[in-house]
Amino acid sequence: MNLSKIEKNSFKKFRWYILWFLLPALIIYTVFMILPLFNSMRMSFYTGPGIVPKEFIGFGNYIKLFTQFPFNIRLSNALLNNIKLFIMVMFFQNLIGFFFAILITRKIKGTKFFRTLFFIPTALSVIVVGFIFSLILNPVWGIFDRLLEFIGFGAYITPWLGNPKTALVAIALVVAWHNIGIPVVFFTAAIDGISEDVLEAARIDGVSLSGEVRHIIFPLLKPTIGIVSILTFVGNFSEFEIVYSMTGISGSPEFATDIFGSLFYRTTFGTTMNVVSDVGLGAAIATIMFMIILIGVLFFLRIFKREV
Amino acid sequence: MKRKITVTFVFCLAAIFVAVFSMLGCQSAPVSETAETAVSETTAEETIPAEADETTQAEEKVTLRYTSLRTEDVDAINRINAEFTKAYPNIEIKFEPIKNTEYDAALKTSLETKTGADIVMLRSFDGGRQIYDSGYLLELNDLIPNMSSDFTPNSLRAWSTDDGKIYGLPYFGSIDAVWYNKAIFAEYNLSEPETWDEFLSICQTLKDNGETVFAHGTKDTWVLTETLYCDLGPNFYGGEESRLSLINKEIKFTDQRFIDAFDKLAELIPYFPKGYEGIDYVTMQQMFLNEQAAMWIGGSWELGMIAESGIDAGWFAPPVENKGDTTHYAFYADLALGINKDTQYKDACVKYLQWVATAEHASLLANELPGMYPPLTVEYKIDNELAQKIIDITRMDNVKVTGQLMWEKLSSQEPSGNSLLDEVSQKFFNKKMTSNEAVEYVQKGLDTWYFK
Repeated sequence: MNLSKIEKNSFKKFRWYILWFLLPALIIYTVFMILPLFNSMRMSFYTGPGIVPKEFIGFGNYIKLFTQFPFNIRLSNALLNNIKLFIMVMFFQNLIGFFFAILITRKIKGTKFFRTLFFIPTALSVIVVGFIFSLILNPVWGIFDRLLEFIGFGAYITPWLGNPKTALVAIALVVAWHNIGIPVVFFTAAIDGISEDVLEAARIDGVSLSGEVRHIIFPLLKPTIGIVSILTFVGNFSEFEIVYSMTGISGSPEFATDIFGSLFYRTTFGTTMNVVSDVGLGAAIATIMFMIILIGVLFFLRIFKREV
Repeated sequence: MKRKITVTFVFCLAAIFVAVFSMLGCQSAPVSETAETAVSETTAEETIPAEADETTQAEEKVTLRYTSLRTEDVDAINRINAEFTKAYPNIEIKFEPIKNTEYDAALKTSLETKTGADIVMLRSFDGGRQIYDSGYLLELNDLIPNMSSDFTPNSLRAWSTDDGKIYGLPYFGSIDAVWYNKAIFAEYNLSEPETWDEFLSICQTLKDNGETVFAHGTKDTWVLTETLYCDLGPNFYGGEESRLSLINKEIKFTDQRFIDAFDKLAELIPYFPKGYEGIDYVTMQQMFLNEQAAMWIGGSWELGMIAESGIDAGWFAPPVENKGDTTHYAFYADLALGINKDTQYKDACVKYLQWVATAEHASLLANELPGMYPPLTVEYKIDNELAQKIIDITRMDNVKVTGQLMWEKLSSQEPSGNSLLDEVSQKFFNKKMTSNEAVEYVQKGLDTWYFK
């Protein structure tokens, strides 16, 4: 009888005071995340001048974005650029990061130093990184062109950030350089977490390095790869600062670097004093961004369902 | 016990939410700390002469709050305002600028909540018009009678309604033309060109001698519209007349003149520096200031920077097609001053604006901020010789003043004329688009709302 009472107390009865511990997080999250998010969605149904659009137009902003020239071109262009950026960053940052992680988890002298080294760029501010690289790539006094000339590739010099073919690639490389520390840290932690017994058993069976990576490390790293992919996806589809600091918010050159972040910023706040700001339309773009990110995350979660 | 805790929990949750929301509600009221403190100051002052009537109030010391978007001007404006206080000892001006990017939102909120400054700075055309249309500003036609005669017509148009109600006093504007490096010009015995052909031959001479001809690039799109097409272009598209015809829908942007202007400007592309597609405005600026380029198609607002750098720079007006043609010279006002309708010191505000509308103030301002010009038709003296020369061109015979092509009316909605022109200019000068395609694209964009 005594036992059942204890059981009843500890398992059946909901411990209401737990709610108190949730309260601070709940309030902060609601006030700063959930309410603004829903308010932004509500604003996407309104139009009008100023910071708070007042005139209700239903799906008018969305219809404008999807059907009317030039908004429809801008939207599809931004989506395409975001997808390109994501693919490039996945390759340059995460794939290369993965191999770096494998290298620095080998038991070679000096790997500790490299573990720190890879994370240094990540500690820099995005704006600083963007500014430094736009100076390095500057066609007048940029050091990159001088370097190319020096090693005999002068013929390939192009205004890297002014040529629509190279601008987005340059930005993707800078993003990758800046953030490569993150996948490296994730992957090294995960590789360190793989039981030494498993690896040792495989080695006794005579596994090669490529076999070890393919059949042991990669499958065991799948959950981490899932998380890194999701982080990269969310990061890229809400990217803004690096484009802002390297090529500006007008998607220069010729909208080759116009991604959702810059399109949203330009639409909502205007670029110069004579571009009209439209908060309602901007909110519609932000809502579309949110939907794409939501769908993308659900998609990745599904792919990595068993692992994550 | 359980119920008690739940009830308290729900109650606390509700209380915190109410508190947070009321906080959020209040947040929109005080615009900035300075505004808040200033409000309490003005209300304190207001309580003292509460019983006094208007005539005695004039003898009381009045402090006007003046807000602006140019935080960089604090010292200059304070010196100018000190001169005003010398002339009107019982009016003091408190200059309270707000950061450029936050100015519009802050101004609108402060006016809405009746905590706005007495004198406010207005952006040109639609920016200022929104403030007027919301009913925050006084009309100035009768208050400052000399305005319609003493200011350039195109500057007044930036702050007036179609039926001629003026709500902003043009404060200062910029002039666009061509800067050149006198030392480099002297080296090759070059002089200021008058015609387009002379201009091109200068470019050729410089290029042949291995000089960088222009500090120019196409990475920043605004440069192409504001300081290239609307600077050297007006001589070929017909200046102010064509601008007004376009606004009045008498001609379309596909008009041959606008195409010609593009084609003429394309003749300069061979003289742009190598890799010009990747050169942004700051690089252009540094190239000219470091004497790495002979010419810079740009605006008068750089005069301060150029004077500081110590290089010997000259300035010539946009070259014309044939000798003796009218020069169309871009002189347009950027900012104006308006009076808050809810001000308690209307008389003092009017006195200040009347003073701003004089040649005396114009001289002070043009000296403090070299390269910025109050758009007065009346002559005023400037100490800096080059600054004086730049403004003197506007008063020469055979010179007509024009403004930025797309700013008036054509940019009140998206896709705005200005952003369309930005877009095609970049493609055109990067040789990705022909002049015909460029004007058609802009027209297609304007057709969606302006030429409907």
